[in-house]
Order: sequence, then structure tokens, then C-alpha cells
Amino acid sequence: MTTNLHVGTSARSKEAPRHVAGRGRYVDDLVLPRMLHACVLRSPYAHAHIRSVTVAGGLQASGVRGVLTPQDVKALSRPFKPGRYAAGLRVPIPEYAGAIGKVRYVGEPVAIIAADTGAAAEDALELIEVEYEPLPPVSSPEAAVTADAPLIYEELGSNIAWQGQVSYGDVDAAFQRADRIVRENLKIHRYSSTPLEPFACLAEHTPERLTIWCNSQSPDVIYDAITEALGIDNVRVIVPDIGGGFGQKIHLIRKYAVLTALMAVKTGRPVKWIEDRSEHMMAGGHSCEQQFEVEAAVKADGEVLGLKIVDTDDVGGSISTLTIHFTNKLNNLFNTYRVQHLRLEGRSVLTNRCPVVPNRGIGKPGMCFVWERMMDRIAQELGLDAIAVRRRNLITKDQFPYTTPNGNIHGSGDYDTLLNKALANVGYHDFRKRQTESRAARTQETLIGIGVVIGVEPGGRNAARDMAIFPQSKQMPGAGGVEGATVKLEKNGSVVFRLGSPSCGQSHETTAAQIVADVLGVRPEQIAMAGTFDSSLSPWGVSSSNSGNNFHLYDVGAVHGAATRLREKVLTLAAHVLKTERALLRIEDGVVVGRLPRSGAAESVSFAELGKIAYANQALLPPGMEGGLEATYYHSHPHADPLMLPDMLGRVRAQYTFSSAAHAAIVEVDLETGRVRVLRYVIVSDNGTLINPSVVDGQIYGSAAHGISVALGEGFVYGDDGQLLTLTLLDYGKSTTLETPAIEIEHYPVPDPFTTLGQKAAGEGAAIPSPAAIASAVEDALAPLGVKVRQLPLSPERVWQLIRDEKAAGR
Amino acid sequence: MTRLPVKLTVNGEACEGEVEPRTLLVHFLRDHLGLTGTHVGCVVGECGACSVMVDGALVKSCLMLAVQAHERTVTTIEGLASGGTLDPVQEAFVNGFALQCGFCTPGFVMAAHALLDRNPDPSEEEIRHDLSSNLCMCTGYVQIVEAVKNAAARRRK
Repeated sequence: MTTNLHVGTSARSKEAPRHVAGRGRYVDDLVLPRMLHACVLRSPYAHAHIRSVTVAGGLQASGVRGVLTPQDVKALSRPFKPGRYAAGLRVPIPEYAGAIGKVRYVGEPVAIIAADTGAAAEDALELIEVEYEPLPPVSSPEAAVTADAPLIYEELGSNIAWQGQVSYGDVDAAFQRADRIVRENLKIHRYSSTPLEPFACLAEHTPERLTIWCNSQSPDVIYDAITEALGIDNVRVIVPDIGGGFGQKIHLIRKYAVLTALMAVKTGRPVKWIEDRSEHMMAGGHSCEQQFEVEAAVKADGEVLGLKIVDTDDVGGSISTLTIHFTNKLNNLFNTYRVQHLRLEGRSVLTNRCPVVPNRGIGKPGMCFVWERMMDRIAQELGLDAIAVRRRNLITKDQFPYTTPNGNIHGSGDYDTLLNKALANVGYHDFRKRQTESRAARTQETLIGIGVVIGVEPGGRNAARDMAIFPQSKQMPGAGGVEGATVKLEKNGSVVFRLGSPSCGQSHETTAAQIVADVLGVRPEQIAMAGTFDSSLSPWGVSSSNSGNNFHLYDVGAVHGAATRLREKVLTLAAHVLKTERALLRIEDGVVVGRLPRSGAAESVSFAELGKIAYANQALLPPGMEGGLEATYYHSHPHADPLMLPDMLGRVRAQYTFSSAAHAAIVEVDLETGRVRVLRYVIVSDNGTLINPSVVDGQIYGSAAHGISVALGEGFVYGDDGQLLTLTLLDYGKSTTLETPAIEIEHYPVPDPFTTLGQKAAGEGAAIPSPAAIASAVEDALAPLGVKVRQLPLSPERVWQLIRDEKAAGR
Repeated sequence: MTRLPVKLTVNGEACEGEVEPRTLLVHFLRDHLGLTGTHVGCVVGECGACSVMVDGALVKSCLMLAVQAHERTVTTIEGLASGGTLDPVQEAFVNGFALQCGFCTPGFVMAAHALLDRNPDPSEEEIRHDLSSNLCMCTGYVQIVEAVKNAAARRRK
């Protein structure tokens, strides 16, 4: 019997005190004896053959202690095994940590140099002479598929590296039954989440093992990469504080982990490598540019019968994340709608741009953008209200738990109420009145508009998801989910725990401590995390990754399970010590209190007393009881089945929980400059049981702000020569406090019936519907001019152009 | 390479060292003095993670050479708490969940300090205007702005 004293409260942050005092501990803060500093030589070309790489003499004099050229990388390491993100690759293509023979994007790592100081290493890059033979760059997905396009991988015979489809229901029949087909072409640009701390690695090779400190969100990727590339099995991956992740630090970082580790092996000294900002912008990974040709089969009353989508993903100059944006669309393929028929065709097109990586929702913002743009378009073509069209198609409250046609189970939700609350909170009807009046005034230099959208936030990854489109794949990446936690009562009565996954700022320690506090009956102040991720010490599994919104499902389940096991041990020992029955015991603030069976007298024993017995006094242990007070538990989602593995219809449970939210945006568009200002931004969110409401607020604010920034102009721009033009955060257009609105949140939690505490995900969620909300609002503002919003970003330049085009067309 | 002597006061303590003329103040603080609370996010003055006070003025320490700080007084994030007690801005950031990954936090705390030293009772608009010098990728700024308001109220008491 446990009580919720701490779960559900905004318990004081455990991480914040050290961070506000400058006592966070990131990779770049670590120093080892005789440590060298590495710097990477990168390709200045988007597309070129590497003809030769020579290293000038006099290296030693410059403080250089090691160089790795492409020849060295090829001789001393092995290519990575194709991972789950490369599912569907039709020809095996070896990919090494550095470029071999050819460069395929600006910034691709070609060589690495290590010296006594970072400055000396950077200076010494000039001593490496690379002879390139430039090739014509493929600077866009359109250019990539022309008949005479240069091939980025000759082995594939085409720049279309993968093509395939998923189909659910009877799409053709749905289209035959339709009263109308609504068509639209949509596009989302390349962007990133630009974590403020770039990639960082520190490697040390000793006779017994290779240890790497790395700010990886998915230490299993680094662990596997070192073993695959260097053939070293005895690997230890330590992840200290991470300065933001958002998906960026899952995949491409493995290249640099391997290069740094290889340098440590070669030099016999610890080697630190810290990426700089422009390196991260050009080579740290982007989200796909995604183009969608969409057709919706609709009835005259707004019912959507089916959807056909042709999706072209620009995956950049690598095959290693070939299908990642496509397969992630399986997670929210139907958004919040009960539509039964859908076909998604996909093409992964190679370009000479940065490779693509997971990124705050990856693929899911695109899928939500498709649904929500189409809902508006359908309403316009049918002459219906856009909110009414959404309502007509929402999964209704009585349908939960609801299984989507592709196999996802939405455990709980109330989408209609989310919409209603968002409309009420934003003052929808009053706004429409104001809008009508302001339009009638006809003197305006600005127009105002409102967009109301809805979306889901899938949480907890199923490692077998990608198998849905590649059931023939022999290399199964894992299935379902497994991750552990350990909770220990120390000799002095304090409690420590260890999680299986790293935190990138999501307050794992605070949240987990609240759960342990309630299960064990101690105050959170008595509880601490024993340390950050360490592959030699942490109980980790396939889900031990700060991605896929895994924490809420796996870490919470694991730490709850471990604390529950420990509670059992504590009560067993206490019953023996107090000479009473376990059923008569309760725990109050770190003290086990009970009544003696005969006299009824109250007796108690503290955690500190129990700790001393468990670790130091075998004589007082119950006969046969194992010493120590520690428990480990590995959590797997009990509802992983059915459809943990894909069935014959390609159905699979892509993720396990589904938070949801309605977003309402009010914008003002300056007609002279095209500048969009967000005047109000309202969110009504169902994240299930809230463990720490302020932490959840922070996740929602942050992800919404990112999605809004993406919609307003943040993004990567390439020149026709394949050069990245946005190498700094300023050029890239990241929103500051000035552009970011004061986002308003209302929680409307509907607990999930299948999770440990009724919790659902809260991480990347608000980044999923927010680009669609801004698009909808801008289109609404510009409706008097007839402007249609079909692509992001809505930078001032683009909005100005849209307005100009409509005026030029005389509309 | 030539090395130049640098003598300065950091967080109330006299410090000295020898640096290459090109050494940035942020690297001197981190690498020579071990004050790793000052972070490098962009090294071109855009993100503000390296913000410190030099003679009472807010400075992005990636835009200043170490030798330019010669004989000047520098306060870093490590210099704000006294005797282990957090100052009102730090406390407000903790209480208000005004940080997530913590990487931008020292810079924001320093920027908030500079603002409140100049303007003890800033409006939300003034806070947002001032803190636009710094970037945070995690929080969406909402809880940071609220924390600065709360810190201002506490400091006025």
C-alpha cells in the first residue's frame, strides 16, 4: 500500500540547484591526465571524389600527436552495420566513421587530428592536404531524380535510395465512394533542434577497456558502434550531463565517438573532441525536407473516408538513416481521426545535403501537418467550418481504447473536449467577431487570423516498428521494449537509484525520486540518483534511450517496479526485526511502524537501522534472507502485444501511449513585410497522470516554442552549389524571447489504462501540432487575399511572396 | 607562440596566468581557472551561454580576449552563490523550473542579473527584450521569464 504524497506535485527540482550554480558536469568539463584535443577536417565540397590525402611533415613540432586519414580509418576500423534506420537498403553499402573515397555533403568528416591543445589541433588542420575532384552537386530532391542527375551512391544506380508503401483498409474503395476528392501538395523544410551543447566525446583506451564519455542520447548506439567499428568488446560508455538532445544526439554522433576512440587507441592517450557550432549545423544532422502529394476522399458532410499520400523525403548524403522519417509516420499515421483507409507511399531521395536524424517528433510533425492542412482544405472546398470537419472525424470518447487501422492502441483520450477547451480558452467566437470587424475596416496594414489544430504525441518506442515495412529484413533490431532501474537503501537509511537511460534535461532525477518517495515512504530529499548513465553500472536495454518518449513508459515503470521490490524486502526485514507480521506494517517518512500482534503496542524501526542490519549485521537477518537492500527491475510494456511484431497486413504497434493536445494560435501578419507575430498561443493537453506538472509544463512550452520557431522561419538553407548558407544560429533563425509567445497551457489529463501510473508521454509533443497551427492561422489571416499556405517555413520572405503572388494574380 | 601575462580578479579572487594572445576569455576561465560553469554554445556571440560580468557589465566571454580582461574584475556563475546559498535569481530559476538541460542556464542567470541590476522592476516586455541576447533550446522561455519576474520581486523585498 503506497500513497501519492509526491507524485502529482511540482516537487522541487533535483537537477536545477547544481545547474544554476554552474556545477553541471558536461563532457567538455572533464579533464584527464595527458589528455589530447582533437579536431576534425571536413569536406568543403558537397560532392567530390577524394583523390589523395597527404600529411605534411613537422607535425610533432606543432604539438600534433596523431592524425587519422581516410586510409587510416579504412585500415584500422570496420564499417558500421546497417542499423534500424537504414531498413530497406537494397544494396549493402559499407559506411565508415569518416569519408572514404568520396564526400557527399559539406562538412563530412575526412580526417581527424589530435594535439596538445585544441588550438594547436585546429591550426594543424592546414597540414593535411586533400586533393578533391569536385563532382556536380545534387542540391535538391527535384534535381536528384532527373535523368542526368549525378549519382551519390553509384552502387544504388539511382538517387532514389528506397521506395515503398504501407496501406491499411481498402483505399481504392473509399475513393470510389467519395463525393469529392480534395487534393493538395504540401512541404516541410529542413530544420533541427540545435541543442545548445554540440556533440562531445572523450575517449580513453587502457589495456582492459575502452571508456568513452559521450553526450549521446542513446548510449546503446555508441556502445554498438565502438564494438562494430573497432572490434573492441570491452566498452564502457559514460554519459554525463547532456546539454540538450531532441534526437540530434542519437545517430551521427557515433561517427565522432568512433573517430575519437580510434585516436585514443592510436595515440595511447585520452582524447577529447568537442564539435563547434558551425560543424554541428553542417554535419550534426537535420530533419528531412518532406514533400507530400495528398488526396482525401470525402463525403459532402465532411466525413473523411480515406487518404492517399505520396511522401518524398530528402535524406541527404548518407544511407544510414534512409527510412527514418518514413517509418516514424507510422506512429501518428491517423492523427486523432477514426479514418479507416490510408495509403502512404514513400520515396527516400539522396541529395548532397547533411544526413538526416531523429528530431523532436521526427516524421510526426509532417504527418500532423498533412492531416491538419487537409482538414482546413476539405472544409474550404466543402464550404464547411474547419472545426466541424475535425469534429466529424475525431475518434470519440467512447471508442477508447481505440486501435488504429495500422495497429496503434490509443489507450485513452477525449479529443472533442480538448478542442472545446482550446476554443474556449482562446476566445474563438469573440476572436471571429473581432476579425470580422477588423476586416471590414479595410484600412489595415495587418491581418489577424486563428488556427486551431489537434494532434497526438506517441510515446514509448517499439523496437520492431521498422519491420512493418520490411518484414523480409533478416536483421531484426529488437522488439518491444526493455529497460531497467535499480533502487538501493543505503546503510545510513538514504535511498539511491540508477536509471537505465540518460537525461537531456527532462528532469529524470526529480521525477523518478517522486515515484520512489511514494513507493518507499520517504521524502524526496532523502533520495538521490547514484549517477548518470554508465553502461557498466546502469541496468539498460533496448529502450534505454532518451528518444521515442521512452522515459515516461520504461524508466517510470522500471523505477516503480524496483522501488516496489525494495519495499517488499524492507518490510520483510522490518517484520522480522519487530517480530510482527508484514500486514501490520506501514512506512512513514523512512520509518517502518507496526503493532505487535499480541500486545498491540506500537513499535518502529528506521530505514537507517534496517540499513545497518542489512549490510553489517547478519545475525539480525531473517534466516535465509539475502543481505543488502537493493532491487533491480526491468520494465516491458505489458501491452506491447498484440502486434509487437508486424502481422501480414503490416500492422504493428509503433508506439505504446498516445498523449494528445489541441493547439490554438492567433497571429498577426504584417502585409508590408510579411512578418508574422504570434499574439496568443493556447494549448490544452492530455498527458495522462502528471507526475510533476511543472516539469510537464516545461516540456510542452519548449516543444511548442520549437515548432512555432520552425513555422516562423527557423531552418536550413542550401545554395545551388550544395553549400550550407545557415552556419550560425542567427542565420538559421532560431527564435528568441522576442519571437516566442507567452504560451498558455491547460492540462486535461485522461489517465492511460495500461501504464504504471496512468501516465503518458510529455516531451516532443507540442512540436508535432505547432507547425500546423501556425500554418492554419496564417492562412486564416490571409484568407481575404486568397492565400493558401502549402509549405513551411512562413518566414517574412515567403509570406511577403505569397501576398505578392496573390496580388499579382489580381485576386 | 608568444604568451602574454594576464592578471585579473575573478569572483573576488586574484588570478593570473599566461595565455596566447588569441585566447578567448571563455577559454581562459574554463581551461586555465577550471570555472566550467561558463559554457561554449556557439563561440560567435549569438547564444549567450558564456555570459559573465566584467567590471559589472554583461559580456559574452567568447567575444572578449583573455588579455582584454587584464586588470579587470570578472564575475562568473560560480561567483553568485555565497557560502553555498543561492542568490535570488538562482533560487527563482530553481523554484520556477526555469531550466531543463542546464547548458544555457549560467548565461541566462548572468543576463538576468545584469538586467535586474539596471532595472529592478522590469516589465515582461523589458525582460523579453533584454533576454533576447541569450538562446535556450529547451524551455520555450516561459518559465525563464516568470523566474526573472519572481527574482525581481524577491530582490526588491
